[in-house]
Amino acid sequence: MVFSQLIEKLIQETTTSSLPYFGAELCLSVTIVLMLLVRLFNADRWLPAYLVAVLGAFAALWCTYSQSAQLNSGSVSDSQTFFGGMLIQDLFSVYFRVFLSLFVLLTIALTALTGIPDIEDGPDFYSLLLGSTIGMMLMASANNLLILFLGIEMTSVPSYAMVGFLKGRKTSSEAALKYVVYGAGAAGVMLYGISLLAGVLGTTDMSLLAVRLSEAAGGQTAGLADPEIRAVTLGVLLVMVGLAFKLSLVPFHFWCPDAFEGASAEVAGFLSVASKAGAFALLVRFCSALSGAAGTEDLLMAFGVSLGVIACITATFGNLAAYNQNNLKRLLAYSTIAHAGYMLMAVSAMMVMQNSGHAQLYQVDIQKSVEGLLYYLAVYLFMNLGAFAVIALARNYTFSEEIDSVKGLISQSPVLCISMMVCMFSLVGIPPFGGFFAKLMIFAAALKAGEIHWFMYVVVAIGGLNTVLSLFYYIRVLKTMFLDERPAQSRAVPIRLFSWEGSFVAVLALLVLLLGTLPRLMSGLSATANAAAHAVVSQL
Amino acid sequence: MLADNNINSYLLVGAVLFVCGVICMATKRNGIGVLMGVELVLNGANVNFVAFSKFTRLGLDGQVFSLFVIVLAAAEAAVALAIALNFYNNHLTIDVDRASKLRG
Repeated sequence: MVFSQLIEKLIQETTTSSLPYFGAELCLSVTIVLMLLVRLFNADRWLPAYLVAVLGAFAALWCTYSQSAQLNSGSVSDSQTFFGGMLIQDLFSVYFRVFLSLFVLLTIALTALTGIPDIEDGPDFYSLLLGSTIGMMLMASANNLLILFLGIEMTSVPSYAMVGFLKGRKTSSEAALKYVVYGAGAAGVMLYGISLLAGVLGTTDMSLLAVRLSEAAGGQTAGLADPEIRAVTLGVLLVMVGLAFKLSLVPFHFWCPDAFEGASAEVAGFLSVASKAGAFALLVRFCSALSGAAGTEDLLMAFGVSLGVIACITATFGNLAAYNQNNLKRLLAYSTIAHAGYMLMAVSAMMVMQNSGHAQLYQVDIQKSVEGLLYYLAVYLFMNLGAFAVIALARNYTFSEEIDSVKGLISQSPVLCISMMVCMFSLVGIPPFGGFFAKLMIFAAALKAGEIHWFMYVVVAIGGLNTVLSLFYYIRVLKTMFLDERPAQSRAVPIRLFSWEGSFVAVLALLVLLLGTLPRLMSGLSATANAAAHAVVSQL
Repeated sequence: MLADNNINSYLLVGAVLFVCGVICMATKRNGIGVLMGVELVLNGANVNFVAFSKFTRLGLDGQVFSLFVIVLAAAEAAVALAIALNFYNNHLTIDVDRASKLRG
């Protein structure tokens, strides 16, 4: 083929399929440029940056929504790679794009209400926020190890800057320094792992990983005695370091409480939900890309079980460490760590069932475990954002984020307290809130995986125990808010239900409640999640 | 593939760079020193990529990968140095052990 033909083919592929699939990311990119242009022409005095950002996020949401409609109607094939096999378009990536654009829309609304970036800094802050979201969308649609790395970096680099956004604050600059030092280190280690994996398997294409892995095993059962398998195992472990850092799993969780305490509550909420979601999307893609090849079942089964071990340790550690925290953001940071542990249980169950040797038999249950993860993430979006929003809104009046600052808040702002109660009960997993059903789905998947490996029963038991453990520290916050007397010298928090702030948190809390009580909404969400799970699992 | 003797020396250089970088990240107290360790790790991986692309069926993908990594390392260093400067402005030091207001 001559060069000009190659170029023609590239242009044709890019314009007909790649660019439409990349619509949401393009919308966000255009918004970033627009925002900076608006400031360049001094128009930001009458056109605040958040308006431009909201429009951009809304355009991205609309774009992905039409993509999902297209995929559901069956007018395009179920999964298609684009940009030369770098990215993949299926219901799974579309699910995460809808999720992320909805979340970034809500985050922008929250920052507009609390006014954390002032008019002057608005364009900078929203550029970082949207840039980071583009990175997460890339993570969700990655089909190549290069995109895996680029997505993680594109998410992390703007997040470092966002954590340090509160200028002139010692805690904020300290949090950013810790985050960037740990983050850059984890990314470097992960890159080394990718180099081993790509080099030994001879490909960077994630859809080929499983086939090449079984080739490397040479038709026998892969064991660590083989040097190639050993190198691949090391590579996978190092890649997991990078992913575990993003997910704040236990040996790599140090940055999370510090970064959350130093950052503003809005940024902490964004990091706790969106970057977790992106990293889980990537983890599911990476794990299902590795599994399913002949001869590697034992090795990958061990990998799945060790994910279960990490999940148990993470959930237990997060819940125990949250006990003696006095800062609300720090407490929620540990709760975020614990929730990452619960969600990892679903991935572990998926890995164990996929590599049981009877993956066909367990096809439905594998889908169910990923469905549980996706449902959990959707509920987690509303409940965690709700909790962080209450903290951010109360902070604007009390100038503090300590637990004591919300003492007896019920007498001044019932709407904040009741929303916080709904979000926290859902975080614990008490019926009838959304969090209960999400947890139930994950535990059911892990229980099913117990048929294959006994350790998954232990995982379920520890998960259940943790749910009880977590109750106490959430209750402590609620007790402070509801039962204690508001100290006389404390500042007033006059947030009513019928104000922008009050209705924002009330809507979030209502959604958390509806996701646990409205059967139509629940079955709709779980059907969508199931279709998305089917897309990623059926690629085997 | 790995039995090929020529590649091993390149991989050894990559591994030495990686280990030096990790040791540097773990032991340096100076924030800039830690970032230098990160650069060593990234370049160790880069040596690996280029070596694999020469000797294995990874092909040009490896070289493209290392080009992307070079660009990313520059972007990350820019942000990291800005954050280090911000830390210095607030604390008058870049000793990472002095970053101890947040704990618990």
